[in-house]
Amino acid sequence: MRDLQDRLGYLVLAATALAYFTVYTTSLGRPPGSFDYLAILNTTMPLVLVALGQSLVVLTGGIDLSVGGVVSLCVAITAATGGAPGWIFAVVLLGGLCGLVNGLVVAYGRIAPILTTLATLSVYTGAALWVLPVPGGSIAPEVRAVLSNPNVPTGLGWLALAVAGWWVLRRTRFGMRVYAVGSDETSARAVGVPVERVKAKVYALSGLCSAAAAVFYVATTTAGDANAGAPFILTSIASVVVGGVAFTGGKGSAMGAVAGAVALTLVIDVLFFAGIDPLYQSLFQGLFLVVAVLLGTGAALLARRRAA
Amino acid sequence: MNRRAAYAVAVAAVVLILGAVLSPGFASWPGLRAVLIVASFTGFVAAGQMLVVLVGGIDLSIPWVLNAAAIVLTTTGLGLADRLPLALALAVGAGLLAGLVNGLGVAWLGVPAVVMTLGMNGVLQGLTLGVSQGLTCGDCGHYAPQPLRDLFAGTVPAALLVWLGAALFVTVLLTLTTFGRRVYATGANPRAAYLSGVGVKGVTVALYTLSGGFAALAGIMLVGYGGQASLGLGDPYLFESIAAVVVGGVSILGGRGTYVGVIAGSLTLVAVTTVLRAQQVPEYGRLMIYGLVILAILFAYGRERAHD
Repeated sequence: MRDLQDRLGYLVLAATALAYFTVYTTSLGRPPGSFDYLAILNTTMPLVLVALGQSLVVLTGGIDLSVGGVVSLCVAITAATGGAPGWIFAVVLLGGLCGLVNGLVVAYGRIAPILTTLATLSVYTGAALWVLPVPGGSIAPEVRAVLSNPNVPTGLGWLALAVAGWWVLRRTRFGMRVYAVGSDETSARAVGVPVERVKAKVYALSGLCSAAAAVFYVATTTAGDANAGAPFILTSIASVVVGGVAFTGGKGSAMGAVAGAVALTLVIDVLFFAGIDPLYQSLFQGLFLVVAVLLGTGAALLARRRAA
Repeated sequence: MNRRAAYAVAVAAVVLILGAVLSPGFASWPGLRAVLIVASFTGFVAAGQMLVVLVGGIDLSIPWVLNAAAIVLTTTGLGLADRLPLALALAVGAGLLAGLVNGLGVAWLGVPAVVMTLGMNGVLQGLTLGVSQGLTCGDCGHYAPQPLRDLFAGTVPAALLVWLGAALFVTVLLTLTTFGRRVYATGANPRAAYLSGVGVKGVTVALYTLSGGFAALAGIMLVGYGGQASLGLGDPYLFESIAAVVVGGVSILGGRGTYVGVIAGSLTLVAVTTVLRAQQVPEYGRLMIYGLVILAILFAYGRERAHD
């Protein structure tokens, strides 16, 4: 039963996917086609990437509220420059740098993660507004064709790359250290884990993921908005939670968060095809979040009872 | 008053003096009156946020508890003075109820505070939007009854007396009652508090309930100030409430902090924004400076202890 909690993200995703399939088929009289799957893939990619970065931070016992600001800033720059390859490289680098600043302040400044990233959220959002005062901008068609092609599932390749990246990362020494810091910082320090460096890197990676998400976002929506990142703060945290990553750190996997992100995106489609008034959307998302976590804790409780 | 709260008061004083030097009219009573009124809204939400932060929790449901209470008030009050008592009771009741459910979820079901309150925020957002149909109904009269608007009239508006009352309530509750002792004991070490006979769960539920009540109070006051309720009214207060609490010298880890500090924190945040506005700093500049000011204050007195 302990496994159930670990695999919460996949179970929730499977249940949501089943609901999506059923509701879609009954409402349109045919099963979803390749076009629908592609649309889901392309709209979910930004959240998948932000959730991936967020989960790394949460695994160390932290939280990153500044993802909203980093996504906004990177969306603004990408859209304002039209997504020339050199600029995309610069944007991803800048995202990593923004994250690194968070990490340095958290690790060496010893300021609580939620407060550090709350302050930098404001700074990065301001910078985004400075770059792109009014919504607009553009993206080069070539970039769109490579990242979120509306006809070919190029997104699958990038998704696979992100999954492979995590798969490799968690087997490296750094990956082990992330879990060590999250499980018990004092013990990790005692056995010689460079806790400060691990934390700094984790936030930098989160910034990097947010920047990549921003590029995908502009490629999918073909325009930018300096407030584009704001919704990602709460949705990325929700994805991590639904994915079974513990807020106390050290437990869970980034893949769970990725599954959680896809599930959260699918819920919106389920509500749409079930004919529910979009005004009620967040009501169901909120319930979904709490119920998913209750299922997880319920499973853990059962496991403990059985073990006792 | 502890050392951090003293720093918070000093910072507020410095910011206010700086404002008086930089912009003429700031130091006059009308100028100060405007700052105090806007700070009172932050002060109300921050009172609730402080109470839950004191036991190491967090309340992310403030924006839509506030907004739901505001909508309940205007749609049941219908702008009529004789319906005001009923409308006030319903609005405060709605806030208390939302807080109670948060508290029960956190204390008894063991849902992490971030998840429970984030879910509650979504549920209330969906309910408010759905039931009010996005405020598209033209003849519902989403207006504030006259007595509520009168709170903001006069040289010394009654609204400030309400804030003073709330401040006295919170301060007396925390410093002069056994309940207050239990709150600090729970925040400092929940296990030790439990073992020495503190009803940790009951305390937690009570604090979340109060936080819901304070968010509702802020919503009611905002309706009186603006003359009507709008959707998204509470959104700025999520991060602002956390910032005010921390700038006010309350430890985000719980167990330490006073409302006097939080009042100073609210004043600091509002004064910074007001001064920047008076200096005609564009929005992007305001956001960036606001973030940097919070970061600077955190570095001054918001750091955690060294690990060694």
